[in-house]
Order: sequence, then structure tokens, then C-alpha cells
Amino acid sequence: MLRYLLFRIALIAPLLIGLSMLVFVIGRVLPGDPAGLAAGPYATAEQRQAIAAEYGLDQPIPVQYWRYITGVLEGDFGRSLMTRRPVAGDLAGYLPATLELVFFSLFIAILIGIPLGLIAGIRRNSATDMTIAAGTLSAMSMPQFFLGLVLQLVFGMMLSWLPLSGRLPFIISPPPGVTGFYTIDSLIAGDFTAFRYSVLHLILPALTMALAPIATIARIMRSSTIEVLQQDYVQTERALGLPSSLILFKYVSKNAASATLTLIGLYVGWLLGSTVLVEKVFDWPGIGLYATNAILNQDFNPVIAVTLAIGVVFILANLVVDMLYGVLNPKVSNKQ
Amino acid sequence: MLKMNRRQLMLSTVAATAGAAIPSALMAQQNKTLVIGNQGAQSHFDPHAGQDYPTSVLMRNIYDALVDAVGAPPQIVPRVATEWTISEDGLVYTFKLNPNARFHDGSPLDAEAVKYSFDRIQAIGRGNNWMINGVVGPDSIKVIDDHTVEFTLLQPFAAFLQVLPWISIVNPAVIEANAGSDMGQSYLLNNTAGSGPFKVARFEPESVIEFKRDPEGWREGGGNTDTIIWRYVRENTNQRLMLQRGEIHMAVDLTSDDIVALEGVPGVKTVVEPGDRTFSIKMNTEHGPTADVNLRKAISYAFDYDEMLRVSGLAELMQGPLPSSFFGHDGSLEVPRRDIEKAKEYLAKTEWPEGGLTLDAVYVTGLEQERLWCLVLLDSLRDLNINVNIIPATWPDMLSMAESPEKFPPFFCVYLGVGYADPDVIAYAGYHSSRNGGWQNPVYKNPSVDALIEQARYEPDSEKRAQLYAKVQRAIVDDAPDIFGVVEKSKVGLRDNVEGYTFTPIIVQAVDFFPLSLKG
Repeated sequence: MLRYLLFRIALIAPLLIGLSMLVFVIGRVLPGDPAGLAAGPYATAEQRQAIAAEYGLDQPIPVQYWRYITGVLEGDFGRSLMTRRPVAGDLAGYLPATLELVFFSLFIAILIGIPLGLIAGIRRNSATDMTIAAGTLSAMSMPQFFLGLVLQLVFGMMLSWLPLSGRLPFIISPPPGVTGFYTIDSLIAGDFTAFRYSVLHLILPALTMALAPIATIARIMRSSTIEVLQQDYVQTERALGLPSSLILFKYVSKNAASATLTLIGLYVGWLLGSTVLVEKVFDWPGIGLYATNAILNQDFNPVIAVTLAIGVVFILANLVVDMLYGVLNPKVSNKQ
Repeated sequence: MLKMNRRQLMLSTVAATAGAAIPSALMAQQNKTLVIGNQGAQSHFDPHAGQDYPTSVLMRNIYDALVDAVGAPPQIVPRVATEWTISEDGLVYTFKLNPNARFHDGSPLDAEAVKYSFDRIQAIGRGNNWMINGVVGPDSIKVIDDHTVEFTLLQPFAAFLQVLPWISIVNPAVIEANAGSDMGQSYLLNNTAGSGPFKVARFEPESVIEFKRDPEGWREGGGNTDTIIWRYVRENTNQRLMLQRGEIHMAVDLTSDDIVALEGVPGVKTVVEPGDRTFSIKMNTEHGPTADVNLRKAISYAFDYDEMLRVSGLAELMQGPLPSSFFGHDGSLEVPRRDIEKAKEYLAKTEWPEGGLTLDAVYVTGLEQERLWCLVLLDSLRDLNINVNIIPATWPDMLSMAESPEKFPPFFCVYLGVGYADPDVIAYAGYHSSRNGGWQNPVYKNPSVDALIEQARYEPDSEKRAQLYAKVQRAIVDDAPDIFGVVEKSKVGLRDNVEGYTFTPIIVQAVDFFPLSLKG
């Protein structure tokens, strides 16, 4: 297992270099005039050229890449053409907001999806199973931007239960930054008002993002549960008279969850991607919006940095999932 | 079943207690705090490095300028300068400064600071420097005494006073102490160096800026608000919903649909005024089929302007290149309106008397309004047997297309927002050939129009200027370089307890916080 993990970690660097190269070249060969855009509508040709020179956009692509990648190794992701701020600083502000949303969504998805799948699997072909199947199918078919607006309308406007947008009410100052996750930082600071409001603000965007994963996780979990329930060892445990709850929670759910784990790992990437829409609807100041603005303005440095950040998170999430296989199924760790 | 209902009831109660209290209670707690919802994410505090509306918010509230532009149409009123004289030849402007003017650190805002600020914006060469480019030179500004500064312009510039509100005065001592290698630009990413009525108390990028009224501020009067929250709300629909719920007091990025939806909503009032942002479809006057003026005129007469207005929401049709609210607009100007017979007459004079052409129309991807106008174009030109191929493109791609006539499409959708309240800003940027290669006027050039625009730019006499602009408009309409479209109305939503708001059509979203009050 250890050798396997080391091998996986060693793969991260070439993967990221390949990724950065790909995004860098694609960004540079696209038509467009990012320096002109940054210079503003009334800039003279000289001003546009000065900005292109300032950002090294007038250099050959290999030179630009070399400068960029050597900078990255020193923690310098360059400056954004649009905000003029160092990209590393921007990322440090936006990435935790997005990760908090993604992890909270994932938490909701697992919390609801796994029990739903388990129940559907156990009560196969019953009315409960059918209802869950219909519900999950509807959830998977619903576009996120539409769902977000409906949730805002119902829970924000009509019922006034939850806030419409943002991470905190404007009146509450964010807790001192430790992790960048407002929920955790407010607990560290002992600021329970900020904690309460940061959770309230998370609910609607996280639910919007979590609905599709809930549905998929429930469906996979259902199939796995059905499969595991038919295994000989379950039949044996039943024959031995072990209590149903013990069989279900200790043996069935644990084994059925292995297949779901792969899905959860993949969903980290999917959720990171879906922040683009959800962050816009809910004014969530995360990297999804930062990336969208950067792409539309051909602001290359943030685009590459966001791609790399998502790449790192995705790779690490899948690494953690692989490690969890070993925890759930000792056979896996023994083999590797 | 009963158990579920109880649970639901409990959840509902908890959620209602937690959530419902958010907007109203928090707003009530802060009755001198006014919240403005906007789409202008701020990324720095340098008034010399930007020209978008978030930067203009800084110029109006964190910094001061020599004069201010207030009201509709905008009138030039004193700010740091209490009075000024202009020489007869229109070259020398002498300003007397208010001796009470102070920067936030308490140091006096004097003539040296004015000179320093104009030197800095020219040295940086960004932001609103274009407004004084070629008008104010390195030796133009002379400090007469602490409270008198004299500008000798390189050439007369009739709109000079109109551009001054957008050239802010910065604190030289603060900038010099933090100059670094970029004249303090890095420092001003997170700090300010101003003298305006507000200071920045909190800055969360892409989220919130909290402005606090400076209790030591040098300007007299002002509203009763002590805090302004500049709240970034990307979606205009969200701005409208938040205004309805009372979570914000002002919404500055509303659409026509939002205004309709806000009609009759209790506690909300709306301001809908003639705006300053024009929309037109520019044609390639130098390359391809539309280089033929007869084809351009045929298209201009075939275009269905009434349909365009119908799909535009709150807007008015343009009568030529200048908005009707502008000084110099010629109300008697005859412009093309849909007349298919006339369009066919012009088409008959071209190489394509029977049509049979397909022309590309490019618009900014995601701008639904522009797409609708392109559809109107497509529908209109069917009568001339001309097909229109509608292409969405990102803005950087469109900038790239504007670089040369060969890359420029036959139709190019463009909004032109103005930076200051003078016809020069549209005439010079939109129709002078020196701007060729830029998006405001990618290809159109006519030496006689250039000469007229320059004369009008330098003419100090208002009456003569108006006559010159009348000639400019007639000459441009005769060349038909654009399908002159619409001027969208400016739309602002307010809670009814907001007082002191004055609509100014220039950069409407850059609200002047100083006079704002909250009733009750």
C-alpha cells in the first residue's frame, strides 16, 4: 500500500506540469487581445503594448511558459491582468470559499445519499424503493442554475428562512482567517454568531450542488447493497442468527460503500466544476467565478492557477479515496 | 405521520427564527448604514489605474477632484476648487483651491498635490489618462501658490472642465512613502491616499467594501449616513429580490424587466432616466461588401427600428450618433427609418441589386440583448434578400477583430459608454480616424469628419461648437457607418427611506455617497 501511495504521489508533479503546459498553450494560441482589454477602452496602441510588455505577453510562448513555471515553483503565479493583484493572493482568498462549499455539499450528499441507497437496496422493489428511484431520477435531471433559483425563490423569498446569497451577512465581519473556511474559523475564534450565519449561508448553494450527487450516490449504493445482500457471507450471517442491524451496518453497508467511494472521489472534481454556475447564482466569492471572469477576459495567469488548483484538489481527493479503500477493505491494502 | 409533522414543525420554527431575522433585524440595527447592491467588483483603490465604474466610485467618494459633475444634464460645480477663470483663448485655466481641503491623514490638499496627481496619472498612462492625453503636457501645470494652480493646455479643449471630475487628487506624501517601483500602484491595491468624505473600513474582494464617513472630513453638509456597504451582487435578479426584501437600500444594475417587476412593490421606488450608453451596429466601411456606402444606406433603411425599440425594454431610439440628452445633439437631424422602397433604391446602385449576400454579424457572447438586436437585423434584411450569419464572440476576440479592416466583420455590435458629459467623448472616440484599430471606431475614417470633430473639440464658444457638432452629425449620418440603435434608460432602484439621491447620467452606478441619508 505504501509503495503504491508513493508511486501515486510521485505522479502528481508530471501530471501538473502536463496540465499547466496544455492550458498555457491553449490560452496563448486563442485569438484575442487580453492586453487591449486590460488597458481599457480608450488606451492608445503604446499603452496596450506597454501592458503586453509588462506581463510578458510580447515574448515567444516557450519563453513565457518557462518564466511562468519557474515562478510557480517559487510560489509566484504571476499577476492578474484584470485585478492587477498577485494571483496567489487571489487564490488564497477564493479557493477556501469554494472548498468549503464543495466539502459541505459532499457532506450533505453522503449524509443523505448513502442511507437512501441503503434503504432502497434493502427494500428492493417496494414502494419506498420506487419513490427513491423516482426522486433520484428527477434530481439528476434538474439543471443546477434552475434549482438554485427555485431554492432562492422558495426558501429565500417566499418563506424567508434562508439568506439569498453571499457567505455572511454584510454586517458580520468574517472570522480571523486560519483555514479560510468560515465555519471552522468562526468556531476556532469562538464566534458562534458568525458560525451560525456561515452555516445558514452554506445551505442553499450546497444543497443546489448536492442534489445530483445525492441521486447518483443513492443509486450506486442501492445496486451495491443489492449485490452485497446476495453474497454467501450475508446469507451465512443470517443463518447464524446475527441481528439484522449488525449485518446491515457492520457488513453490508461497509462493503457496499466501497463502490460508492470511487464515485465520491470523482464527485469532488464534478462539484469543483459546478461551482462556476452555483457561485454566480449565490454570489459566492470562490474560484468558480474568478475562473469564469478570467476566461472571458483571457486573463491567462488566473486561468492556469485555477486549473492547477483544481487539479491538485482532484488528485488529492482521489488519493484519499484510494487510501480509504484500504480502510474499508483490508484485502485491498494487503494486495498492494 | 404525526412524528414527521412535529419534526417538520420544529425545523420550520428553527429555520424561521434563524433566517427570517437576517435582513430586517440587521438592517434595523444599523439605521445609519446604507447598503448598495452592485455588479462592480473592486480590486484596487488607485483612482489613476482604472476607468470602470468601481474605480469611479472611489473617485467620487474616497478621493476628491478639482470640480464635480452633478445633476442631469451634468453641471460642473466646485469641489476642491472654489472658483476658476478661463483665458479668452481657452488655453489657461486658473483654479483657486479651498484652503480647508485636507487629506485623510490631516495634511493639506494644496496646489502641489494637484500637480503631483496630474503628473502621476500621466506617468502611469492608464485609467482616465486618455481624457487629458494631448491636452495636458508635462509642463502644463504651474503652482502659483499653495491654493492656486494654473493649467496651460497644449491646445484648447472645450470639454476640459467636464473631464476634471474624473482625475482624482492623491496624497503625495502617502504615495511617495510607498512608491516602490510602480509609483505606489502596488500600495494602492489595498490602501488609499485620498481626501474624500469616506474612508475604507473593510475590504473583502468580490464581496463587500465598507465605507465609513470621515468624521474629520473637510466638506460641509452631507447626509446622515455614517456607513455605506458596497455589496457585490452579481445577478441583477438577486439585486432586485434583495431590494424587495429590504436587504439592500439601492440597486444600481437593474434591467427593464426588474423595473417592471418592482412596480407597485411597497417600500421601493425606482428612478428611470435617459442614459448615456449608446448601442449601435457598426459596419465595415473599409473592407468587403459594406465598404459600399450604398449598401450601408440600403441596410440602414431596411432595418426595423420600431422592432428594435420593442425588444429593447426601457430605451429610446438614437437620432444619429449623439444621445439626445447631450449638448450639441441636433434635434432636426434626419436619420434613416425603415423604408423598404428607399432601401431597394440604394441596393440597386450596388453590385448586388438583387441581394443574395450573406454577411456576418458579431455580438458579445452572453449579451442576450445584443443577440435580440442581431435577430432584428436578420429579419429586417430578408426583404433585401440579404442573409445574416449571427456569430457570438468573447470580448477579447471582438477586440482582436477590431484591429484591422480585413479582420473586422460586416456588422459589429457595440455599446459605447461615455466617460464625461460632452459630445467630444462620443464624436472623438467613436468617429475620429485616430481611434481606428480600437473597438469604438475600428475602421471608419473621413478626413472632413475628422477636421470637424477637431474644430469642435477646440472651439471655446458654445454656440459655434453646437453648430460644428450639427455638421459632424450630418456628415456621419450621410456616410452611414453605423446602424444607429438605442440609448438604454438608466435604471436605479431605491428603498423609500433613502433621501438625498441625485441622478447624474454619467457613470450612473458610481453613486455619490456624500448627500445620502436614511429617513427614520
